[in-house]
Amino acid sequence: MKRSPKVVRRREWALPSKPVHLEVLPHEVPGTDRPPLLFLHGLGHGAWCYAEHWQAAAAERGYSSYAMSLRGHGGSGGQTRLGRTTVRDYVHDVLQVMTSLDEPPVLVAHSLGTLVAQRVLQRYPARAGVLLTAIPEGGIPGTMVEGMRTRPVAFTRAVLGGTLRFKPEDLFAQLPAEQGRDYISRIGRESPWAQYAMLIPEGLGPIGSPLMVVGAEQDTLVAASDVRRCAAALGVEPVWVPGGHDVMLDGQWQAVLDTVLDWVDRTCASGPPLPGARETAPLELD
Amino acid sequence: MDAIERPGCAAVIGAGPHGLSALKALLQAGIPADGFDRADDLGGNWNFGGPTSRVYESTHLISSKPFTQFPDFPMPDSYPDYPSHRQVKAYFDAYADHFGLRERISFGTSVVRVAVAQDAPETPFGPRWDVTVERGGRQWMIRYDAVVVANGHNWSAKLPDYAGLSDFGGEILHSADYKGADQLRGRRVLVVGAGNTGCDIAVEAAQNAIVTYHSTRRGYYYSPKFVFGKPSDQIADLLLAARMPLPLRRLAFAATLRTTMGKFEDFGLQKPDHAFFETHPIVNQQLVYYVGHGDITPTRDVDHFDADGAVFADGSRADVDLVVFATGYLAVFPFLADQDALDASLGRPHLALQMASPKYANLWLSGLIQPDSGQWTIAHWQGTAIADFLALAQRDPQRARAIHDRINAQRERRFSGGTHYKESTRHYYEIAHQDYLEVLEDFLSEVAT
Repeated sequence: MKRSPKVVRRREWALPSKPVHLEVLPHEVPGTDRPPLLFLHGLGHGAWCYAEHWQAAAAERGYSSYAMSLRGHGGSGGQTRLGRTTVRDYVHDVLQVMTSLDEPPVLVAHSLGTLVAQRVLQRYPARAGVLLTAIPEGGIPGTMVEGMRTRPVAFTRAVLGGTLRFKPEDLFAQLPAEQGRDYISRIGRESPWAQYAMLIPEGLGPIGSPLMVVGAEQDTLVAASDVRRCAAALGVEPVWVPGGHDVMLDGQWQAVLDTVLDWVDRTCASGPPLPGARETAPLELD
Repeated sequence: MDAIERPGCAAVIGAGPHGLSALKALLQAGIPADGFDRADDLGGNWNFGGPTSRVYESTHLISSKPFTQFPDFPMPDSYPDYPSHRQVKAYFDAYADHFGLRERISFGTSVVRVAVAQDAPETPFGPRWDVTVERGGRQWMIRYDAVVVANGHNWSAKLPDYAGLSDFGGEILHSADYKGADQLRGRRVLVVGAGNTGCDIAVEAAQNAIVTYHSTRRGYYYSPKFVFGKPSDQIADLLLAARMPLPLRRLAFAATLRTTMGKFEDFGLQKPDHAFFETHPIVNQQLVYYVGHGDITPTRDVDHFDADGAVFADGSRADVDLVVFATGYLAVFPFLADQDALDASLGRPHLALQMASPKYANLWLSGLIQPDSGQWTIAHWQGTAIADFLALAQRDPQRARAIHDRINAQRERRFSGGTHYKESTRHYYEIAHQDYLEVLEDFLSEVAT
C-alpha cells in the first residue's frame, strides 16, 4: 500500500498547540557514542515509570536517556486543559522535547504512547523507534472485545469519556499486590480524545526510522492480536518479552530492557545521525 | 585541474534554510551530500552581517511559527509567534547541529562554476557535474552525481533606473545595505517600494528620521500581524481549512481589513487597484498608524529625481537627503555554465514544479519560491521532494525520467491558488502555499517507495 507523507496540515497551521511546561527527567552518560533514548509513557502514566528502573539501567549500558511527561501527565503542565487535549498536542510535545536534544534520539514508547510515537516518526527521522505493547493506527478491536468481556465497567466508563481505570492485575503479572497498588496510585487522568484516538483511524505516512514492535507475553490489556496488527502494518515481526503490560515496572523489567537495548545496539551504528552522512566522510579540501 | 571524485554524492550550494533542509533531506534519504557556502557561518539571509544577509536589526518574521518552521523540527515553544532574526539564526544553528549538518558544509567557500563534466561517463539519470569552488584564492573542482542550487533569491539588489537619479545630491541606499535605524536618524528620508522591507524601513524612518516619504507605485493591502488576538495567517488558514472558496475568502479578508485597519484611502494612501491575493501580501500593522500620525507621507510613484529630491507622478515633490530603494532583488545564478538549464530566456526561470531544471534530471533548485505564507515548511518539502526523487533516480532511473518528463511538460503551471498575480518581477516566484504543497504531496507519494 502506497502511503503518502502528510504535507498539508491545515489544522496544525491554523490551530497550533498551545505551549505548556514539559517535565523531562535526564539521565546522562557523558562521552557516550550511543544515541540518546527518549522514553515516552502510556495512558495516564508519566516520566516517573521509566525513572524507576530503566533510566539507571540504560546508563549502565552506555545510554543517555530522557524520560518525558506529556502535557497533563506527571510533572508537566496542562493538567486543567487535559479534557481538551488531543494526540496532536502530544505529538507537538514529543517533537518539542526531541528537538531540544543534541541529536536525534531513539524513541521508546509504551502503550498509548506508541500511537503518539508512530505519528511522530512519520514526520521526524529518529534514530529508531521502539514500540512497547504497541497500539496499531486505526483501531484496537482485539483489545476492545477482550476489555469489554473481562472488565466491562472500566471499559464502558472509558468509552463514555472517563479515564480508563486500572487494577494491579491489569498492568503487572509479577509484582506483589501492594507494590502494584503503589504504582497505580501514581497514575493520573487521561484525555478522552487521546483514548478515542485509539479507536478512530487517522491514516499514517511512511516511517523511515528502523522500528521494533514489542508485545508482552502476559499482557491482559493490549491484545496480542493488536500488537501483531501493528507490527504487520509497519512491516516488522513482533518481539515477545516476558511480563505484564507495564514492561518497564513489572518483575522482569531488566530482561525486557536488555532485549530492547540489544536490538538498539545492533540497529544503530555509531557516527552521524543521518544515514547518508555515515556512508561517505565529509569533503576535505586541503 | 583534476576533479575530486565524489561518486554517488550530491552538492548543495548555499547553507541558508533551503540549503540546510535539502542537505538534511539528502542525508536522510541515504544520499551523501556536501554543502558549500561563501559565508563563514550558516543561515544565508539570516546570518546577520554575513555577505548575503539582507535582514536588518529589527527584522522579525511576518508569517507565524506554524507556517514557517520545518515540520520535523518545530521552533521552540519559548519563541514568540513572530520570532526575531536572531532567534531564527539560533533556530537554524540548532537544526544543523541536531542533524549533524555543520560538518558536511564547507564554509567560506564560494561556488564559482557548475558545469556538465565533459570527460566523464553520465549517470543513468543525467550528466555528472563539475563544481568548481574557491577558498582563500585556491580553487578545487569536485565531481558530483547531482547538484542542488539553494543560493537564495533575495540578495542581489534590483536597482531601478530613474531620470535624474545621477543628479541627486543626497545619499542613495538599497535596502540590501540597510542594517538598522542608525542609518536613518536625523535624516530626511524617501523610501521607495512597498514590499515588506520597504514598509518596515518606512516605519523605522518614521520613528527615527526627521521626515519620511514613502513612494509606492500602487495602493496595497496592509495586513495586520494579529487579528482577533491571533496571528492573522492562522485566521486566514482557518478559512482555507474550512474549504471556503476564493471569492468568499476575499470577502472575509476585505471585511476583516475594513474592521481592523479601516479604509486605506482615508489615511491618504492610494486605493488598491487589485483584488486581495493578487499581490504578495504585506504584513505591517504600523505603517498606517504612522501615516495617521503624519510621520509618514505617502506619495505616488517617482517621476524623476533632481539635486534636492524627488518629483512624483502627481507633480508633488519631496526634498530629502537619503533615498532608500526597497525595490527588491533579482535571482542570479552566475556560476551556472549552461544558462539554458533553467529555461529563463524570458526573464523568469521556467522550472518543473518550480524547482527542477527542465534540461537535466539531476539539477534542482530549492528556494525559488515566494509563498503567501511561511517559507521553511515549504523548504522542508522541497528538500524532501528533491532527495526522494534523486533516491528514486538511483534505484529506478527509468521511472525517475518518466516522472521528470511529466512534471516538465507542465512547467508553465503557476501555483497561484486560482488568483492572477499582477505582472511584475516581484511575482516571478510567487506561490500560494496550500496550492503548491498539495502538488508536492502528490509528487512525494509518486516518488516514495
